[in-house]
Amino acid sequence: MYKPKILVVEDDPVITNLIRTTLDTQEYQYHTARNGTGGILDAVSYNPDVIILDLGLPDMDGVEIIRKVRGWSSVPIIIVSARSEDQDKVEALDAGADDYLTKPFSIDEFLARLRVALRRSRIDQTAVPAQSSLYQNGELRIDYAAGCAYMEGKEIHLTPIEYKLLCVLAKNTGKVLTHNYILKEVWGTALTADIPSLRVFMATLRKKIECDPSAPKYIQTHIGVGYRMIRQ
Amino acid sequence: MLESYQAQNQDRSGSPQKGLLKIFFGYAAGVGKTYAMLEAAHQAQKRGVDVVVGYIERHTRPDTLALLEGLEQLPEKIIEYKGIALKELDLDAALQRHPSILLVDELAHSNAAGCRHSKRYQDVEELLRAGINVYTTVNVQHLESLNDLVASITHIAVSERIPDSVFDSADQVELVDIEPDDLILRLQSGKVYQKQQASRALAHFFTRDNLAALREVALRRTADQLSKKAQKAENEITAKAGEHILTCLSSAPSNAKVIRTAARMAEAFHSGLTALFVETPETKELKGENLKRLRDNMRLAEQLGARIATVYGDDLAVQIAEYAKVSGVTKIVLGRANHRTALFMKSKPLVDRLTSMMEDVDVYIIPDVQPLYKKKRVLFHKPEQEFSWKDLGKSLLLTIAATGISFLFYELGLREANIIIVYLLGVLLTAVWTNGYIYGILVSLLSVVSFNFFFTIPRFSLTALDPNYPVTFLVMLLASCLSGSLATRVKRQARQSAQRAYYMELLMNSNQKMQQGQSEREIIQIAAQQLQSLLDRPVMYALLEKEQKICFHVVPATETEQVMGRITAEELGVADWVAKNDKHAGATTNTLSHAQNLYLSVRGNQEVMAVVGIPAKFYPPLDAFEKNLIIAILDECGLILERRKLRAEKQAAEMETQREQLRANLLRAISHDLRTPLTGISGNAGVLMEKSFSLDESKKQEMYSSIYDDAMWLINLTENLLSITRIENGTMPLRRGAELIDDIFHEALSHIDRRAAEHEIHVELADDMLMANMDARLIVQVVINIVNNAIKYTPEGSDICLSAKKENSLVRIEIADNGPGISDEAKRRLFDMFYTADTGSAGADSRRGLGLGLSLCKSIVKAHGGSITVHDNQPHGAVFSFTLPLEEVKIQDV
Repeated sequence: MYKPKILVVEDDPVITNLIRTTLDTQEYQYHTARNGTGGILDAVSYNPDVIILDLGLPDMDGVEIIRKVRGWSSVPIIIVSARSEDQDKVEALDAGADDYLTKPFSIDEFLARLRVALRRSRIDQTAVPAQSSLYQNGELRIDYAAGCAYMEGKEIHLTPIEYKLLCVLAKNTGKVLTHNYILKEVWGTALTADIPSLRVFMATLRKKIECDPSAPKYIQTHIGVGYRMIRQ
Repeated sequence: MLESYQAQNQDRSGSPQKGLLKIFFGYAAGVGKTYAMLEAAHQAQKRGVDVVVGYIERHTRPDTLALLEGLEQLPEKIIEYKGIALKELDLDAALQRHPSILLVDELAHSNAAGCRHSKRYQDVEELLRAGINVYTTVNVQHLESLNDLVASITHIAVSERIPDSVFDSADQVELVDIEPDDLILRLQSGKVYQKQQASRALAHFFTRDNLAALREVALRRTADQLSKKAQKAENEITAKAGEHILTCLSSAPSNAKVIRTAARMAEAFHSGLTALFVETPETKELKGENLKRLRDNMRLAEQLGARIATVYGDDLAVQIAEYAKVSGVTKIVLGRANHRTALFMKSKPLVDRLTSMMEDVDVYIIPDVQPLYKKKRVLFHKPEQEFSWKDLGKSLLLTIAATGISFLFYELGLREANIIIVYLLGVLLTAVWTNGYIYGILVSLLSVVSFNFFFTIPRFSLTALDPNYPVTFLVMLLASCLSGSLATRVKRQARQSAQRAYYMELLMNSNQKMQQGQSEREIIQIAAQQLQSLLDRPVMYALLEKEQKICFHVVPATETEQVMGRITAEELGVADWVAKNDKHAGATTNTLSHAQNLYLSVRGNQEVMAVVGIPAKFYPPLDAFEKNLIIAILDECGLILERRKLRAEKQAAEMETQREQLRANLLRAISHDLRTPLTGISGNAGVLMEKSFSLDESKKQEMYSSIYDDAMWLINLTENLLSITRIENGTMPLRRGAELIDDIFHEALSHIDRRAAEHEIHVELADDMLMANMDARLIVQVVINIVNNAIKYTPEGSDICLSAKKENSLVRIEIADNGPGISDEAKRRLFDMFYTADTGSAGADSRRGLGLGLSLCKSIVKAHGGSITVHDNQPHGAVFSFTLPLEEVKIQDV
């Protein structure tokens, strides 16, 4: 059986140890790097399936590493950071990170995020490079060619904006998308003034595709950061 | 005016390190002042004091010059003036060199054009302000108040004079005294002047009588200075309270003498001195020589330490009397006959009228030997008054109209008396409708003539048969002249009072507007706007900030380019000087008068707050009255600015103490409360590491979960502490945005304690699109804190309900529980920092809590502009409720 390869770039030995122990219990392969330069080298040579990256490294800024790695690879990157400011997360996500975890985090949460990232990585690898015209995620199905979305086989009636929103989320399933990213993709602008409308459309969209909007299954809200489509 | 203002402010703005002034005072040239000064310098140098010679008169005698040996000398500044090289004190070099003591000869010297100040004593004042001690020399005839006294002894008028205040403020006065006989001997031996000069001087000036008289004056003045200083030290206010002397300012040449006399009297009585200027319509029309003399007199009064006051009115006596009554004047000093008496109205001289109006005030009359200035001659025929064809036309028309109506009356058979009344009416109307009473008089004459011509028998001739007629004509002429002059007067007074009311209103208005200014910048801007509308020219202003260059703004902003275009580095230098020295300078003043603009400092009690620049070069000169008003507005502005600044400083200091307090409390609370969970974690972990084999599984599980709980508690605490530093420091701004309340609730509930499983938590949202403007992270923290509190203080199984609803432009969020509720006492203090529900009860350790949670909630909600309250739930329990600004959603396209 294929054991997923995980690269951990983290300078704090205690956290590294904690992650290592956790990964051991799940039978993942892993490799650790203590600083940014080592991390980038390992990202090239080790060819990981997921990178877990600490933002506060001794030699360079984590965001810098994300940009460098994104130069050649679309490998999922999960940020682990003690910086609790939303602004830092948004910056990292905009630079190309897929997900973030704020210290202190629980091990369960960490593993769940890791699984999401691995799933994306696997789909990316197996999927045909040409974009498929069909999207399937749990009970949600999108027919890009026909421009329709279905839930449990029934067509859902979406406004043009809602449909665009859904597509942007679906194409980036598993990835946390920042408000700015979504605004740019859907409306073509990134004015923060439009965030209220984004919220409204997201709420109406959710009502249409979630059976219980108060416990969302597909679209997850990240307060102050953005939204994410969850792979079922 | 500006200078007197400075004099008043000198004391309050004086910094403690102000230099000391020592004056070597002599009664005539040659007594050895410079010699004594140099000797004192040598002595000081021997004591190790840093002494530098700033300026010594070159024509000084050889023995004296020999004394210069061994003293450091500043090079003199050479100024070219009309082809002659003049030597002056190099003020900037002196300030640069900054010795402990600087020697500056001849305090009364007038500087050459091109120096910063027009008088040397101003240089010395600046040196003193810079903290340099100054030794200087002066002769008795150069003292302003003694000037004409000395002139009357020696018959020589001296043009170089220093204000008495400079002399009186000297820290030491050393009288350099020598017997008159010895002085004459010295003169004869050629020690003072060259032989030829000496004999002339001996003949005219240095007579024994003269010298004795001068010596006496000098001795007395020195004694005065001493006693005055002693008295000042004792109590300045009581000394001044006794007497108050008032003198009047006018454009008469003799006025200077009156002012000096008044100043001398004020000195002798140790009383306050006020120079009153009564502004009348005539004074407004003063021009040329007279105006200049008035200004000179005003300046003189200021230099002699008088306070200048201006009042407006027609009647000198009434105005003076009123002012005297209001300001508690005890003595009035007047020159004789330099105030004109008005036509018809007040035949009594001013002095008589004054004495009759004010019985308890002494009036002193100073005889006037100088020729009267020629005001009387211009009385009827005012060259200043513009002749106007329009007014002449009006007069003629009115005469014709009166004649026409009279014809009508005559035809109707009405009597002559009615006709005369009609003419009188014409004269009255002329006086009201035209400017100046020549037209009234003209119409009076015309009326008499046409009455004679048209209506007296024989008609249509200028002869009058009835012997009664000449009397009638005369009475008619007198009556019409008088009524015309009365009407003019009434009109003028109305205009004056309107003007006065306007100015008063302007002052009040400025004050009110400035008080309303939100920022310092706004306050000074308002002041500048007021000045701009008052003076009808652009005004520049600059707020002074520490360590920053002066940066002028212009009102109105549209003229910025034009005004600032003329501002050279030199002009900025003048402004800078004003800011540093807290004195007015620039055009129309004695200091740096070559500048284009007048620069005024805006000061509070402590320091200069701002500088205002008023363009002078391309605009009409400012009259005394306008200057007065400018200063009144700026003074007020300075005080308001200062008050504002002090208040801000006080607030900052208070906030700083509060923050200090907070930090101290936090540390104390943390050191106590952190220990408990940390002990739990380390203890449990220790046991697990060493004795895990001997513990059974359920025991281990219990310890794991207690480690976990303690850790979670610490995590929550850390979040709160972080939020607190964010809010309290004010360093990080709120990151506000529109958020769905629904999202906020879910986010918050996902962070709630595990214990929550034992409580029923539900969300009730009428409108799940409800949005509020907030910093999401902080508001989530608020909800978490309140819900955690509810969980902590209610029994298991209680309901906790989160709800939100729209209230006008607010969103009200409520978190209700049905627990036991909160006592009224606790409700009051709930939001205080470090208050916990257990405070005061025995088991302070039983339940943990820093008491930060709710106080933090309050700070956060307050920072959002909302409020947080707590009230009872029905039938029992507590409801926490807070508000946030509503975010209305506008959907552009669907």
